[in-house]
Amino acid sequence: MNDSIDLAPREPRGVLGTLDELLRQPRAGFARARAGMPVRAWTLRAIAGTLGCWSLYGAGSGFFAGGWQIGLAAVKAPLIVAGSALLCVPSLYVFGLLAGAPLTRARFAVTLTGFVGMLALVMAGLLPIEWLFSVSTQSLAFVVWLHLALWTIAMIFGTRFLRAAMPEVPTGALMLWIALFCLVSFQVTTFMRPILWREPNAAILAEGKLFFLDHFKQALR
Amino acid sequence: MTTMLGRLLHRGDELLSHILSDRPLGRTLAELTLLMAVSAAGYGLVLGMWHGTRLAAYDAIKLPLVLVLTSTFTVAFSWIAAQALNVPLRFAQVAVLTFLALAAAAVALLSLAPIAWFFTVCAPAPSTATRMTHNALYLMHTTFVGACGLTGTRTLWHAMTRLGRARSTLRRVYLVWVLGYAVVGGEVAWALRPFVGSVSPKFPVVFLRQDALQGNVYEFIGRDIVPYFWSRRRQ
Repeated sequence: MNDSIDLAPREPRGVLGTLDELLRQPRAGFARARAGMPVRAWTLRAIAGTLGCWSLYGAGSGFFAGGWQIGLAAVKAPLIVAGSALLCVPSLYVFGLLAGAPLTRARFAVTLTGFVGMLALVMAGLLPIEWLFSVSTQSLAFVVWLHLALWTIAMIFGTRFLRAAMPEVPTGALMLWIALFCLVSFQVTTFMRPILWREPNAAILAEGKLFFLDHFKQALR
Repeated sequence: MTTMLGRLLHRGDELLSHILSDRPLGRTLAELTLLMAVSAAGYGLVLGMWHGTRLAAYDAIKLPLVLVLTSTFTVAFSWIAAQALNVPLRFAQVAVLTFLALAAAAVALLSLAPIAWFFTVCAPAPSTATRMTHNALYLMHTTFVGACGLTGTRTLWHAMTRLGRARSTLRRVYLVWVLGYAVVGGEVAWALRPFVGSVSPKFPVVFLRQDALQGNVYEFIGRDIVPYFWSRRRQ
C-alpha cells in the first residue's frame, strides 16, 4: 500500500494544495506522470499558483517606487518568468532527450512547471524580506543587487529540482542551461523595463533596444 | 523528416541498432541529411538576421552548407582512421554516424534559436557604434555552435560505445574524428564567412567574400591573432 502511494501519490486538490505538494514532495508529479496518470489539471493548477506567486513578488518589488508601479510590477514579473521559460523550453527538451532522459510530454510538462513553480515558491518565501528592503531604501543600485541575490537563491533551489527531475542529464549540462535561463531572464527583464523605477509620466514599456548589461550599468549608476 | 527527428530524440537506441546492423543505410543517410539541413537552415535564419533579411537568407543556405561540406571533406579520412585503428565500420556506417552527430548538433542548435532570436531582436541595429553588441552576439553564436557541436559528438560517442571494442581504441577513433571535424569545420566556416556580419562599412553583406579562399583560418590566427595578443602582453 505504501509503495503504491510512493509511486503514484494521490493528486492534491486546489492551487494551494498543488503548491504545497510541490514544496513537500517535489517528485510526486513525476511519479504520477511515470504511472501514466493525467497531469494536465495538476500542471494548470501549478501554473496558476506560480503566476500568483510571481505576481506577489512583483508587487513586492514595486513597493520601491510605490504607487502605480506596484500594480505594473505585479503584472510584469509573471510575464518575465513566463517569457523566459517559453524561450528556453525547446532547448531544455532537446538537450534533455539527447542526454538520454526519457521525456514524455507529461513528464516534461511536470518538470518545467515544477521548476518554475519551485522558483516562484522560493521567491514568495522571500517576499517579506524583499518588501522590507524595498520600502526602506532609496538606492536603485541596492535594490537591483538585492533582486539578483534573491534570484540566485531561488535558482539554487530550482537547480536542485531540475537535477532530481532529470538525473540522466549531466550536472554540468544542466548548470549551463540554468546559466542560459538566467541570461535570458535578464534580457526579458530589460525588454519589459521599467520595472523597479519609472520616471513620472514615463511609458509603461520603454522604447528602444537595450542589451541587459547596458541596462544593469544604467541601473547601477 | 519528422520521423527521423522522433527517432533521433525518442528512439535513439533503435536508430543506432539500425545504423550498426548490416542493413542498407541510403534512406537513413538521406533523412539525416535533410533533418540536419532544415535544422541548420532554421538557426541560420536567426544567425544572420541582425544584418537584415539578406544575410539571414544567405546564412540559411550557408550554415547547412558548412555542415554538409565538413562531413563530405572528413568522411573518407574518418573511415580510413577507423580501419587503421581496428574499428571495422563500413564506409556507409561512417558516413551515417558523421551525419548523425551533425544532425544531433543541428537539432540542438535549432532548439536554441528562440533564445538567439530574442537576443538579436533586442540588440541595437548594426553600426560602427555597436561593436560591443556585435561582439556579444558573435560570442553567443560561437558558444551555441560549440556547445551543440559537443552535444552532437556525445551522440557519436554513445553510438561508438555499442561497437563492442576496447574503450581505449574507441576513444582514439572518436578523438581523431572529432579533431577532423573541428579542424575542417573551422576552415569551412571561415571560407563561407560572413555569418553574423561586420559593423565596419568596409565589409558589406555578401554571400561569399572575395578573399574567401585566400589564406585560411589557421594562417589568420597565426599571422594576426597570436601576434596581436603577444604584442599586448609585452606592452
